[in-house]
Amino acid sequence: MSNLLSLSDYLPEMILLGVILIAIVMDLVPATKRFTKGFILVGLILVAAFLYQGDTSASSLFMGMSAHDPFGTFFKWLFIIATFFVVLIAKYDDGMDQSIAAEFNILLLIVMFGLFLMATATNLVMVYLAIETVSISSYILAGMLRNDIKSNEASLKYVIFGAFASGLMLYGFSWLYGLSGSTDLTIIRDVLMTQEGPVFVVYISILMVLVGIGYKLSMVPFHYWTPDVYEGAPTPLTAYLSVAPKAAGLALMIRFFTMTFTDGAGETVANVDWTVLIAVLSAITMTVGNLLALRQENVKRLFAFSSIAHAGYMLMVIPVISTDSSAAIMFYLVPYLFMNLGAFFVAIAVSNHTGSYDLAGWKGLGKRTPLLAALMVIFLVSLTGLPPTAGFIGKVYLFSVLIKHQQFYWLAVVAVINSVIALFYYFRIVREMYFTDSDDTEPLRPHPILTWSIISCVIPVLVLGLYWSPVIDWVTASLKMF
Amino acid sequence: MYQNFAPIIIFVTIGLLLAGALFIVQSLISPKFNKGGEKLATYECGEVPEGSAWIKFNIRFYVIALVFIIFDVEVIFLYPWAVVYKSLGLVAFVEMMIFLLILVAGFAYVWVKDDLNWVKLSVKYGKGRYSELAAKEESSP
Amino acid sequence: MDNLTSYLVISGILFSLGIFGVMTRRNGVAILMGIELILNSASLNFVAFNRFGGMHRLDGHVFSIFIIVLAAAEAAVALAIIINLFKNLETVNVDQADSMKG
Repeated sequence: MSNLLSLSDYLPEMILLGVILIAIVMDLVPATKRFTKGFILVGLILVAAFLYQGDTSASSLFMGMSAHDPFGTFFKWLFIIATFFVVLIAKYDDGMDQSIAAEFNILLLIVMFGLFLMATATNLVMVYLAIETVSISSYILAGMLRNDIKSNEASLKYVIFGAFASGLMLYGFSWLYGLSGSTDLTIIRDVLMTQEGPVFVVYISILMVLVGIGYKLSMVPFHYWTPDVYEGAPTPLTAYLSVAPKAAGLALMIRFFTMTFTDGAGETVANVDWTVLIAVLSAITMTVGNLLALRQENVKRLFAFSSIAHAGYMLMVIPVISTDSSAAIMFYLVPYLFMNLGAFFVAIAVSNHTGSYDLAGWKGLGKRTPLLAALMVIFLVSLTGLPPTAGFIGKVYLFSVLIKHQQFYWLAVVAVINSVIALFYYFRIVREMYFTDSDDTEPLRPHPILTWSIISCVIPVLVLGLYWSPVIDWVTASLKMF
Repeated sequence: MYQNFAPIIIFVTIGLLLAGALFIVQSLISPKFNKGGEKLATYECGEVPEGSAWIKFNIRFYVIALVFIIFDVEVIFLYPWAVVYKSLGLVAFVEMMIFLLILVAGFAYVWVKDDLNWVKLSVKYGKGRYSELAAKEESSP
Repeated sequence: MDNLTSYLVISGILFSLGIFGVMTRRNGVAILMGIELILNSASLNFVAFNRFGGMHRLDGHVFSIFIIVLAAAEAAVALAIIINLFKNLETVNVDQADSMKG
């Protein structure tokens, strides 16, 4: 579609851009400064409304730059939900510097804009621009607490690893461009499919693309930044980073690996066997994540490693080249979004009271604040993947892909063993909450908005554990890609 | 094709020989002085130099350089736009105005936040967990 | 000298130097310089492929313009972070930023 015609399908993005610009100006004018956060929340609802209104056909926008398809729309919903929650509760984290709260929210919107582009990009230029939009804003967000050395350090490590990874990816892009003569993903696929010649170059390019995306997913061996950035960054951002960019990275992974580097029927391009590589990396990712999580004393670091392990679970099905694997990942992302956000919000509520993120601060929470502790238990059960929660159903779908296609059985075995390991560190938190006593018996009093956010995160986790067919229908309808 | 390079090689050889010869002749005929003290000192208009040139610059220079580099590099998009402007017409004009509008929002931010002033008039610290750090910074000279 | 291979060799050398710089340097600013080298090598690749690959569209040239702009944006943010590190730690040595471990 030509540029002007594309705009009608691009309304949510344009409104988002308008909201960002107006919010920046609003924050600068003293008279309207107070309303910035409310305006941003209303703007997010407006974006969601226009996203809901948009038609569900798949088309290509801006002369092949970006796609308008149900697949992208599915991910956009996840980003809107995550951003809404994080903007809503960011104010109630005592660790935040409130003088820069508006900048925090605006940068979060810019990250969301980048994520929108990431989920729909079908051109190398667009992929690069989207990843950098997300990354550069995230670097600033991670270093937002200017006088906190940990936050500063987190952003330093993030920027160095991130710029390095995107540089490597860009070099891979340049070779893909040289091999195919185009920056369009579909043309790249068509040319690579007929490629007889230098397979080695194709392999290197695919590897470099994997570095760039693997870094966003915090896939081992590109995970070194994850624990430090998660620990140092402001906690609302940590919650956001652990769900939204990860989902966008998976969308990109599906577009690149399941769509571009295969012929769509199970054959990989130029006979490059990247499936085994990703299978091995996913096994290593979940194992490293779970094993290192066992000895963490800081809750944020613990969840950092837990999120690495979850990236491993979701990557497990990528080697099975089929739409089933995309569907399983997309289904898993829905409960993953809610349970991870919820767990981080509980951590914020606890640290508002104790002033730190040490696991020791959770002692006796079951007696002090039964509601919060009970909600946390549900999130942890879901993260472990036990019934009757949505995490269990998600994991079942992931495993069933491997079983159904009769590939990579060993990977399923590794994942089951890993789920058992995960039980240990998740239930260490439960043990702290219920089976240890604390000298501090004062109950926690989180702000009502924080409590209600946590409760609204727990509802999908429980409901989807019992009645998940609407989400499956939604995912199946969203598998249309351009 | 190699004979095409012959003049270049001869030229380079003569150049190197000449430069080397000048160095040797210069060291042979120049008077020998004690090389030290003022002879090696940096010339500063006849003044005795004070300290090293490797000093820390005021951090404001960096901030202004950062602001400059962003707005400077964005101009690169205007060149291709200006080349094809006539054939694209109004659409291109509107698109570029939107792009510039986004830049102006950034500029307004820098301006209002006092980053264009040499001395920042208003530094505010919020009530975060790290506000005591800020207080410490303000009290120290 | 006017062929694709020589440009690819130069960009390969730039790329390797960039990786070497990132891996060996301890100064934050020097690491950034290494990253810039990597980005420039990719940029050179794009322009060279576009010029010699017989491609009629200008995708490669446009891509390299975007790379230049984003490299500047990234460098600006990274330098701001390093300036902040200097304010906090009185050093730009990334090895000394090690308060988090595990």
